[in-house]
Amino acid sequence: MGTTFTLYLYATDKQTADAEAAPAFEEIDRIEDLLSNYRESSELSRINREAGQGFVTTDPETFSFLKTSMDWSARSQGAFDITVGQLMKAWGFFNKRGRIPTDAELEILRKETGWQKIQLNPATRTVHFTSPGIELDPGGIGKGFAVDKAVAILRSEHVASAMLSAGSSTIYALGAPPGQTGWKVMVPDPLDPGHALSTVTLRDTSLSSASCAEKHFILGGHLYCHIMNPAELRPVEGMLQVTIVDPSATSSDALSNVLFVKQPVDSRRFMQSLPGDRAFIISGTKDKAVCHPIHWQDTIDQGHCTMENGSHE
Amino acid sequence: MDLMNKVKLNRREFVQTASTAAASGILLQAFGAKAHAAANDIIRIGVIGPGSRGQELIRQFLHLPDAQITAVCDIYEPRFTQVDRLVGKTVPSYRDYRELLARKDLDAIVVSTPVSLHHEHALAALRSGRPVYCEKALGFTPEECQGLVNAVDTSGQILQMGFEYRYAAWIQKSIAEIQAGKIGEPTHVYAYWHRNNDWRRPVPSPGLEHLINWRLYRETSGGLLTELGSHQIDIANWVFGEQPSKVIGTTSIVKYHDGRTVGDNVQAVFNYSKGRRMFFSSLTDNAEVGNQLWIYGTEGSVQFTIEDATFYYEPKKAVAAPAGAEVVQRGITTGASYQTKGEMPYRGAGEKVQVENAEDPTLAGCRAFLHSVRTKEQPIANVHVGFASAIATVIGNRAMYDERSYPIPAMRKA
Repeated sequence: MGTTFTLYLYATDKQTADAEAAPAFEEIDRIEDLLSNYRESSELSRINREAGQGFVTTDPETFSFLKTSMDWSARSQGAFDITVGQLMKAWGFFNKRGRIPTDAELEILRKETGWQKIQLNPATRTVHFTSPGIELDPGGIGKGFAVDKAVAILRSEHVASAMLSAGSSTIYALGAPPGQTGWKVMVPDPLDPGHALSTVTLRDTSLSSASCAEKHFILGGHLYCHIMNPAELRPVEGMLQVTIVDPSATSSDALSNVLFVKQPVDSRRFMQSLPGDRAFIISGTKDKAVCHPIHWQDTIDQGHCTMENGSHE
Repeated sequence: MDLMNKVKLNRREFVQTASTAAASGILLQAFGAKAHAAANDIIRIGVIGPGSRGQELIRQFLHLPDAQITAVCDIYEPRFTQVDRLVGKTVPSYRDYRELLARKDLDAIVVSTPVSLHHEHALAALRSGRPVYCEKALGFTPEECQGLVNAVDTSGQILQMGFEYRYAAWIQKSIAEIQAGKIGEPTHVYAYWHRNNDWRRPVPSPGLEHLINWRLYRETSGGLLTELGSHQIDIANWVFGEQPSKVIGTTSIVKYHDGRTVGDNVQAVFNYSKGRRMFFSSLTDNAEVGNQLWIYGTEGSVQFTIEDATFYYEPKKAVAAPAGAEVVQRGITTGASYQTKGEMPYRGAGEKVQVENAEDPTLAGCRAFLHSVRTKEQPIANVHVGFASAIATVIGNRAMYDERSYPIPAMRKA
């Protein structure tokens, strides 16, 4: 995952804080060992190497991670897809050297991408790729998965108040700071990151964001975002930032990608199946941002974005 | 009044190695329960001590379609629910390892208890007629180490040590290249395992301190030299082709004055023949160098980590090539032909060892163990390999506590 995880917690002294934090960080390291596609010895890398040739037996935890990923793919009709590994490489995001693949490359990539090419058999806990060359990239869900696991450890230690952030893109708020109703998290203006478009208070829930602000490349004056539209085999266009609140960090991480890839009008329809979730989508370009709040209850600074027509939530 | 302070902590590097297992201290009894695995059958495994390291072994066995976790034993019962969650079903569990060994349906036993119990549990498992995967170190005293060698050698049974580096593709390839002379004559191994944490595990209630934090007390733990250094001593033994003959060392508590009786830092030097030496250092208050091991040879150096291996070369001197020798340019010239500037350290790239299958070394070790169980072939990390490292840690600890130099006894033939 290669992300910096930051844990905020309340404790009587630094020693107690260290003692409570250590097992949570250890859990994150364990998940990184399991799912990192940057580590050749990880379980995910082993699956990437071997599942194109045969059936790879994996452990229940990794299997459930893959199953959850597949469920989100099915539910989002492919807007979320962990088979974008080759796409990420072809567009140069894996080694941070942005480039545009040729048509011939894209033709091959079409065969090497697609969640429906993953076969999971729960009876044998096996994974198989029906097409060779598939490469799983946990980028759209792994951080959330790690956050959920680490939060479970904090809960088992009876930590009452903590906030865990995975590179600021997935955050979990456990309980609330003493005397407060929750942890305050700012939704930045994608065009002016120092400015808050909205501020949410979170308690026992997670928030994930997707944006192009940190990972992108510019070629010929055009900005290419690191979030892929799997159907088009290319980076998403016309989207600036997505924020979503869901009780599960794994879900919010995956959902932030779903909403980033889908058109706002489709996202609004999709969100009907998630009545308890709140989302804040900002589409547009660097010249004009359009805000699309969905079930969003907090105040939005409307001086910084145009509200979507008909959006009166 | 709010006495709470908000503390912000950043993620640290942390490498898991040793187990938090605890298991019963009941006296050894032999049982005759035996089971035999046919060539394509599932190998049914019983795990004594499924603590953190034991659970990692279970996880890796779950990646192998021909292994099944059939039963577990621990005196700390919260482990059982952890195992059930990991395996995805209820695994029969015992508080007494003798009851686990009495089962008729186990083909192999994993021993991942604290080091002070390895001898008792491994010996009982061997006597029950099962192959054993034993976490390091082999034993806690010279007699225990020798006793397990005798038990294996006289029975012909399989005992594989939890030395996963022996199974890491990049380390196997590097050692072959070192043995072929790629860095000239290897004369020194410098091993570092540095961390920045207190090595403590959270304890649900004070009465469980010694059970959970057994690593911190001399009665149950060989400290950093045993729990971490045994891996690196094993690599030095592999490189030098022998066990060390002598050791000096020192240890202290520099930061964690919390009642522990093992040091929170250790330094030890092991003597090998022909003047060769191995240096081991472990700190727990600075993680800058992490876990890495260097092999220094007369013509180059190799760095081993848990993920890769990298070769570096000394500035070249003219060497007469044999007549008709083919000259081959190395793939990466930066590694092969660097020049140091005066005595400044080299800061350029090295030549990373390329391997096709960089799978997790513990998984590779577990797979090799199943192969040994089926074929009765002795493993690479066999009991003799286990002895050579364990005896160095046992005597090394004595040398450090007494701050004296002690000879290390050689293995006796059974």
